Amino acid sequence: MTVPSSFDKDLAALLPRLRRFAHALSHSPADADDLTQATAERALRSKAQWQPGTSLDSWACRIMRNLWIDTVRSRSRRERVEAPAEEAERIGEDTAMDAKLELARMMAAMSRLPDEQREVVALILVEGFGYRETADMLGVPIGTVSSRLVRGRVALLQMVGE
Amino acid sequence: MVTDETLFAWLDGELHGDEAAKVSAEIAADPALAAKAEQHRAMQQRLKSVFDTVSNAPVPERLSALRPEPEVIDLAQARGARSRRWSRGFPQWTAIAATLAVGILVGTMVPHRGGAPVTVAGGKVYAAGALDRGLTTQLASAPSGHVRIGLTFRDQAGEICRTFTAPAMSGLGCRDGDRWQLRGMFAAPEGQAGSYRMAAGMDPNLAAMVGSEMAGEPLDAAGEKATRDKGWR
Repeated sequence: MTVPSSFDKDLAALLPRLRRFAHALSHSPADADDLTQATAERALRSKAQWQPGTSLDSWACRIMRNLWIDTVRSRSRRERVEAPAEEAERIGEDTAMDAKLELARMMAAMSRLPDEQREVVALILVEGFGYRETADMLGVPIGTVSSRLVRGRVALLQMVGE
Repeated sequence: MVTDETLFAWLDGELHGDEAAKVSAEIAADPALAAKAEQHRAMQQRLKSVFDTVSNAPVPERLSALRPEPEVIDLAQARGARSRRWSRGFPQWTAIAATLAVGILVGTMVPHRGGAPVTVAGGKVYAAGALDRGLTTQLASAPSGHVRIGLTFRDQAGEICRTFTAPAMSGLGCRDGDRWQLRGMFAAPEGQAGSYRMAAGMDPNLAAMVGSEMAGEPLDAAGEKATRDKGWR
């Protein structure tokens, strides 16, 4: 199958969004950028598997989610609960300090959600995917997506709510 | 009784028709439920806007190896290939570059006489101050001041366009009424801020843009001067 030459450009244009999704999944900005890099590399290598006409967004997000799950599973619990606030300093000098702290706080709260709730919250509330699309992406029934979302959302509100 | 699951599905726009209307009615009739919905809506907005700071920030240098290599541009070739190569990807890059460059431009040119170099009207960015004067008065053959002109040409719609170089950036301005609409602005690579890029050649993104906008050939010195004297019509 011939893949249009716009693939690389479209993927490059998705990088900011993939970084956002990576930050919602990862416990530190450094991990998030590693995940973004790994995802982009995997996507470029697998471009023959992408079906033109289907959504590149969800295809790339699915790759990212699968890589993230692999990483999470290979890591010890202890590593995953390191303080993320300090790491957040690496986001970039041009981001306002308040925004950095707010991001660190939100990443810390997301990190405390169980993985299966975090991915659903990230896909639906951060990335704006629908329940059906999320269920397809994760390979679970839509009812499972919906109940994980309820638990994740309630827990998140308790952590970050006023 | 509205379950959390139903409430959130409603918030997320997952309910339709009668189902959605039923939840809306229950929320309208129940202040406690309305407060809860509002609390969750606010939380979701906050979550989204916090993570949006990541997608709105420039992609760090170490990830930029994944971007397509800027190609060496031959104007004629770029023009021939424009619909194929640039029509889809280009506007996004232009927008990013323009956003970046407005900051640089304002930062570097404001101290000079003449005020801010850009102004925004109706969602379009126009040249102002020294940049506007440079585009309006300068000839490529007689450079002076902070703004240097490169090519002058007519675009597909017949408007006059001019490429320019200013400290730290270069760009393309095209006539829109009696103003210069900035169609592209590109930051000079690091280390070149403050210098002019004429000798180093045109920014490849700018060259590609010129290639896709230009109809025919660039004006020669006489054509440039004659068009200026007619008010860039």
